[in-house]
Amino acid sequence: MIAAALHGVRRSFGATPALDGVDLELRAGEVHALLGENGAGKTTLMRILAGLDRPDEGTVEVAGQPVEEFSPRAMRERGVAMVQQHFTLVPTMTAGENLALARPTGRLRPGARQARRRVEELAERYGLPVRADVPVERLSVGEEQRLEILRALDADARLLILDEPTAVLVDAEAERLLAVCRSLAEDGRAIVIITHRLSEVFAGCDRVTVLRRGSVVCAGEPVSAHDRASLATLMVGSAPVEPAASRRVRDGEVRLRVEGASRGRLQPLDLQVRAGEVLGVAGVDGNGQSELEELLAGIAAPDAGRVTVDGRPVPVGAPRERIAERIAYVPADRYRRALAGPLTLADNLELGRGERRRPPQARREERAAPVLAEWDVRGSGPSAPASSLSGGNAQKLVLARELAVGPRLVVAAQPTRGLDPEAARMISERILAAAADGAAVVWFGAELDELFAVADRLVVLAGGRATEPFTPPYDRGAVGLAMAGGHAS
Amino acid sequence: MDTLLTLATLAAAIRLAIPVAVAALGELVAERAGVLNLGLEGTMLFGALAGYLATLSGGTPWLGLGAGVLAGAACGGVLALLVVLVRADQIVTGLAFTLFAISATTYLFELSYTIGQAPPRIPSLSMVPLVVIVLVVLAGVWFVLGRTTAGLVLSAAGEAPEAVDALGYRIPVVRTLATVAGSSLAGLAGAMLVCGPLGLFVQNVTAGRGWVALALVVFARWRPGRAVAGALLFGLCDAAQLRLQGTATEIPYEVFLALPYAVTLLALMVRARRSGTPAALAVPFVRGAR
Amino acid sequence: MTLTRQPADPRTVPAPDGVLGRVLRRPDGRLAEAAVPIGAVLAALVVGGVLMGIEGVAPLSAYGEVVHGVFGRTRGLIDTAVIATPLVLLGLGIAVAYRARLFTIGAEGQYIAGALAGTAWVTIGPPLPGIVLLVSGLAVAVLTGAAWAGITAWMLARFGASVVITSLLLNYVAAAGLAWAVRVGIRDPDAFTPQSRPVGEAALPDIPGTGIHLGFFFALLAVPALAAVLRRTRFGFRVDVLGANPEVLAVNEARPARTRLAVLALAGALAGLAGFVEVAGVTERMTDAFATGYGFTAIIVALLGRLRPLGVLVAALLLAGLTVGFDEAERAFIIPSTTVGVIQALIVVFFVAGDALSRRRR
Repeated sequence: MIAAALHGVRRSFGATPALDGVDLELRAGEVHALLGENGAGKTTLMRILAGLDRPDEGTVEVAGQPVEEFSPRAMRERGVAMVQQHFTLVPTMTAGENLALARPTGRLRPGARQARRRVEELAERYGLPVRADVPVERLSVGEEQRLEILRALDADARLLILDEPTAVLVDAEAERLLAVCRSLAEDGRAIVIITHRLSEVFAGCDRVTVLRRGSVVCAGEPVSAHDRASLATLMVGSAPVEPAASRRVRDGEVRLRVEGASRGRLQPLDLQVRAGEVLGVAGVDGNGQSELEELLAGIAAPDAGRVTVDGRPVPVGAPRERIAERIAYVPADRYRRALAGPLTLADNLELGRGERRRPPQARREERAAPVLAEWDVRGSGPSAPASSLSGGNAQKLVLARELAVGPRLVVAAQPTRGLDPEAARMISERILAAAADGAAVVWFGAELDELFAVADRLVVLAGGRATEPFTPPYDRGAVGLAMAGGHAS
Repeated sequence: MDTLLTLATLAAAIRLAIPVAVAALGELVAERAGVLNLGLEGTMLFGALAGYLATLSGGTPWLGLGAGVLAGAACGGVLALLVVLVRADQIVTGLAFTLFAISATTYLFELSYTIGQAPPRIPSLSMVPLVVIVLVVLAGVWFVLGRTTAGLVLSAAGEAPEAVDALGYRIPVVRTLATVAGSSLAGLAGAMLVCGPLGLFVQNVTAGRGWVALALVVFARWRPGRAVAGALLFGLCDAAQLRLQGTATEIPYEVFLALPYAVTLLALMVRARRSGTPAALAVPFVRGAR
Repeated sequence: MTLTRQPADPRTVPAPDGVLGRVLRRPDGRLAEAAVPIGAVLAALVVGGVLMGIEGVAPLSAYGEVVHGVFGRTRGLIDTAVIATPLVLLGLGIAVAYRARLFTIGAEGQYIAGALAGTAWVTIGPPLPGIVLLVSGLAVAVLTGAAWAGITAWMLARFGASVVITSLLLNYVAAAGLAWAVRVGIRDPDAFTPQSRPVGEAALPDIPGTGIHLGFFFALLAVPALAAVLRRTRFGFRVDVLGANPEVLAVNEARPARTRLAVLALAGALAGLAGFVEVAGVTERMTDAFATGYGFTAIIVALLGRLRPLGVLVAALLLAGLTVGFDEAERAFIIPSTTVGVIQALIVVFFVAGDALSRRRR
């Protein structure tokens, strides 16, 4: 029985299509894996199915009936529920209260005992234990996730979508979760697991669909028809890797040393990057990249181990010292960390680098103008607010500031994200130029092709651990496999 | 010290506590939904004026109480409109409203009687029915917040509005209703002040009780029972300091003036989470912001 | 995307849409900025005129009397300057704090605390020669005001406690302290009613040639001084960045907690200064009627002035002028004494509404 079907779904955000004519069929009684890299469109597709977004083109059917209204409430009534990566529980309320909030049993709310019983019954029925009387903020992440699933099941969901569910779980919990998914499917439900981990696909799923750049490259084929290598290749494509145009001299001194540094999801990590070298860091979001980014940029201190540049530890929580150490930071989230939208372009250039006594505004803008010109930041002049810049120009502004005085270390987190090709090329060139001038560069990337083109060496973060560095010529299949949490053997 | 704990002091404490308790219960409802209503003092003033004028024309203080509720609801509606619909800031709007109310109520009051004559007193209620009202309001607020689904949604709106929004409830509607309900109680409190043993209206009759109620909500950790108990405590301190003013003692009466606020400050010296502050208090809700 | 829930940080608030958001996103063109406050004032004056008309008072003559009350006699100008002084100083401090999105309502408490400390110093502290006494008194007042505000900053940094609530509570503590001090602590033994000793030699002299105490001069000086600080120092830069995006500040420029402390301390310092200046220049001693709500009026002044130093000065002078002028006009006409209060209140209402509406039209 077909639980849901999507036909020809298209969805674009701005100019770039996130989904380009996707067809998908989900059947009751099976666990379906939705596989793909960052930005492949998996979450976007499922959000549409869950009513959190609407397609630009195409149709969606649930249990044979076409979907007219795309809203979470409407889709919930049709039996579709999604457990997202952000949990949407009320932290100060207990599990029972959260359930009562999601599906009230009337004008009056149940007493404490009744609420507890409701939770316990559900937990028992589906094999998802959750403590009932504790505020959600005191639950473990695994328990929270189980509660989210219970909440969806309580609302009698027939189609359950789980977005990267095992990312927050330890292996034992992940196994148990997959077992629960299996039994839920046997009950006649359709389960969809969005994942990038091949082990899960083989351990718990019946069919698999692979998305790549918004298109379906493998449509609902049985898992048994594939092996890890073939799926990995489907995920990252099989185009040959072009050799990079020129290779820099890479025998400079070791600049950046990461020794046993761990924090959050990042397991103890050892890395070395030489002056003039570009180290690419690949991997699907959520495997320790943001932790590593924060450690390198001095936003947070490692729980263990150390991070040093030219022998000196990276200053933590002391931005001006970081800048004095000539560590450049180009964050992934521009407007959250790098640029203050309401302030002018000239002001943003001054962040972390201004003098105690500022020259008058006119003079500051005069000083800023040539810098803006040199870095080709196109906007309405130095006195325009930074929020008026397009993505590419905003990033050029960030680089203009961070790369101004020859840095020793450049931490670049997805520097070309959301940029048009021309801007991306310029950003790329500038960062490589900094490397040519002797900086050690750590480049976190989402696009494998880009990383292949710029990186002298490449590590993949998966499950919080880094692989041994890959060196050119890069084997796309092997890299893809590593990203999917497996090895070629 | 025994002069403090006489029945007279206790009675004075209760009398002082009554309007503050009701106002605090009202503010508590609004704040649990995430709305910091700095217009509380102003709403109480409008409620007091409405209570006075209604009693004057209607002849019975019960009419005044009813008018107070309606005036409070109207104030709440205006505030909610500005904050929710027009999206002005909660803090500025509330503050501006209170400052406006102080002048506006005085002006309107002076219009109501001829200058030169003493403004007439109104028939007033004794303390007993007022205490009953406080207990009824307490029971009502406790019941709604603690036992109904609506109360659950309201509390959740003040803790995790994104979660509530994701479930399909509309946060602006929830917060508007909470503001109107809370302001109705504030209006009632003002009317109770004037239609109670006081029996008259003067310029700025609430004399900062609304601000006290704001502090009281924090002291009470946003729980209704504690708000009323706290009001009594504040009332005791108030009565004590009034009583001590006449006598010569070692403890300066000003200690009792400052005590409730100092204690509340101490109570805040725990992590904001543990003090019970609604996580989304005074944070404007913008859908999709992350 | 995060895989776990981040605890809500009470200090990172999304950019406000409302009045403050508009004010903080300072639209281009000084003239455009001034449009709403000026409009609000004019509208309030018109409505005030209508109200007076209902009373049977001819509005134009009444306003004429108001203007005459301020400009037509020297006393009027002096009184305006004297009333404006604390409003300017308090308003400047609040403006800085609000630019950093620290919505303190504790100016009143800091005002009292500073005045009290300064008065205590000069009346029962070491006997110092006149000018030294005065200067040291000012210093004590400034430091105390800053420390009082510092409590709020500390409670925010350490416990995440809301600035609005803690600053409000501290107002009450200060008021209680005032009551005790004038009755017992620094009481003048020769006086019948509770009050402090007169400040005597520490009194502020007048600006030569006028009847205005030196405090007005301080206020006038403070305006360009603060403007310079805000526009031309790193601290001023950090205030703007903090108000725009605390995380950008933390990643690139400075620790937000430190900047917040500095901002609140500065606001408290100005408030404390205002308090002692009021004692040393106007009241000569402290009584329990000292607190007249300037701390709250100053919030309106700061908002009307669009959080700019010059704007604060203009708004303060305007509100002070209205008070003085109406005071005088009441002698000539039978205007309810609350009319000026209502007009002031209407200015606030029209400002808030007008600003929100102007934002929607964009």
